[in-house]
Amino acid sequence: MSFASPVFLAALALVPLALAAQVVARRRARRFAVRFPAVATLAPLLPRVSSWRRRLPLALFLASLAALSLALARPHATVAVPREQASVVLVTDVSRSMLADDVEPSRLEAARSAAKHFLEEVPDEARVGAVAFSTDPHTVEAPTDDRSKIEDVLDSLSADGGTATGDALAAALDLVDNGPVARRPPAAILLLSDGETTTGRDPTEVARAARRLRIPIHTVALGTRGATIETPAGMVIPVPPDPETMRRIARLSGGQAFQAEDADDVARIYESLGSRVASKKEEREITVAFAASGGLLLAAAAALGLRGTARLP
Amino acid sequence: MSTAAASGATALRPPAGRQGPGPVPGALVEALDLAFVRRVGGVSAGEHRGAGVGSGTELAQLRPYQPGDDVRQIDASATARTGIPHVRQHVPERLLTTWLAVDVSPSMAFGTADRLKSDVADGVADVLGAIAVRRGGRVGLLTFGGPATRLLPPRGGRGARIGLRRALAEGVAPDGAGGEPLSLALVRAGRLARPRSLVVVVSDFAGLTDWARPLAALCARHTVMAVEVYDPRERELPAVGRLAMVDPETGERVEVDTADRRLRERFARAVSEERKVVAAALRRAGAEHVALSTAGEWARELGRRLA
Repeated sequence: MSFASPVFLAALALVPLALAAQVVARRRARRFAVRFPAVATLAPLLPRVSSWRRRLPLALFLASLAALSLALARPHATVAVPREQASVVLVTDVSRSMLADDVEPSRLEAARSAAKHFLEEVPDEARVGAVAFSTDPHTVEAPTDDRSKIEDVLDSLSADGGTATGDALAAALDLVDNGPVARRPPAAILLLSDGETTTGRDPTEVARAARRLRIPIHTVALGTRGATIETPAGMVIPVPPDPETMRRIARLSGGQAFQAEDADDVARIYESLGSRVASKKEEREITVAFAASGGLLLAAAAALGLRGTARLP
Repeated sequence: MSTAAASGATALRPPAGRQGPGPVPGALVEALDLAFVRRVGGVSAGEHRGAGVGSGTELAQLRPYQPGDDVRQIDASATARTGIPHVRQHVPERLLTTWLAVDVSPSMAFGTADRLKSDVADGVADVLGAIAVRRGGRVGLLTFGGPATRLLPPRGGRGARIGLRRALAEGVAPDGAGGEPLSLALVRAGRLARPRSLVVVVSDFAGLTDWARPLAALCARHTVMAVEVYDPRERELPAVGRLAMVDPETGERVEVDTADRRLRERFARAVSEERKVVAAALRRAGAEHVALSTAGEWARELGRRLA
């Protein structure tokens, strides 16, 4: 919570002042009590009010003072608001190395189920597209409201071929780059890859272009170091992930880099990105809430105080 | 002559709002005079001269002669009329000593009607003092309930009345400065008073009823009259809204909503219970009980009750 006019927070000093004033007033009231010799007879007959009920009106009053003082300072709260028509493109690596099973059950399966979770997490207003790439980006689906279409794309993924990260990113950029930067609805790219770029354009250049277009590329480096796969020819080749390049891509484009070593990691990352990518943090002024609650507290304090004693607390 | 131990800050003070006793009709004094004599005189058959008992001049009654009567008292005209010897019985003159025990505790400085309770107490003491010094009687004063106890040994004549007035003009104890309770004062009076005196206790009889036993002891040897002074608002709360009240003697502070009718009724019931207990204790001890209010004419009420 932040305050637009923090200088008014000085009004919070009213709270201890009011408390002190009340204490002084009560002490002065003793001097003006009526002398009555039969108080000893009267005292046991008085209805007993529990001490917290006696103090309640004052406590409510002080709370209302605090709320109104905070309202004076115009508090702002940061809330996550869904972005209008945000577009997200899921760029998924389906090269042969994705068949490795260091991530249970296989890297590809983990990516698939994580992407499906992402579809559930992302706000309804967002549009999701998909790009699947190996030697080149072969499945390109423009951002759409239709979740089932993207799900079909995800289901149809199969792993084979090399890794042309740069080309895939360029294709994804193309999908969302429509119209001038200022008026375009916000967009983001989610890249999941498990290895070095083997062919195609240099992804870092594409990342720089993405930055100019104000489209962040969030990257997930999937896989563990000692992973291997078997080629059709029977050779065992290692397929370690390439986190440095991924980090660079993310940094250059203004996105975030993640590393995932098992299916849960992937799922978690996608989940958090789902709500973040398509919504933005907005500062809302919540002055009215504070003012209204302050007013209600004051009314409650007055009502309780009048019932208990003849004066406002 | 008087033993007073008054120290600066806790001395007796004339209470704020003091009104004075108010007008006392002269006829009242005369009426009370006779009433008192009848009470304290105690004519009984065959009474001989005791210590300090003399033959007065006032005729109490004429009765047939009985052996042992003073023959000088035979009334000629009555004997001639009826043929049976009659003797005059005079009101025996006794050197009557009256002790006034006056309450000067802080609760006496309270009054919401015409005057304070202490004003009524002063008036009662003044009237009784006037009566007491008639026919050579004497009056003494002891005050209780304040930080300083005042004691005026019995004296006769105008000097006694002046001394009384001066002692009572000192006032009552200030708030919070309580003192000797009634029970101890009665014990002291029992020690000071010579047998067969009249002891008049003027107080509001508030607080514990622990004075019942000393009072009974006192009544056994003297004639005791208890004058209870009260204020009508002590018996019944007025409906004046919320009040903060403080007890003058203990300083206890309460907040009271007098608009609550049930509270007022409960208070009135509780007070009347207390007063009944006090009246019963006084009756059991054998003291005569007169209750005077600060509203209206206390003098008339006193005369009505005693005459």
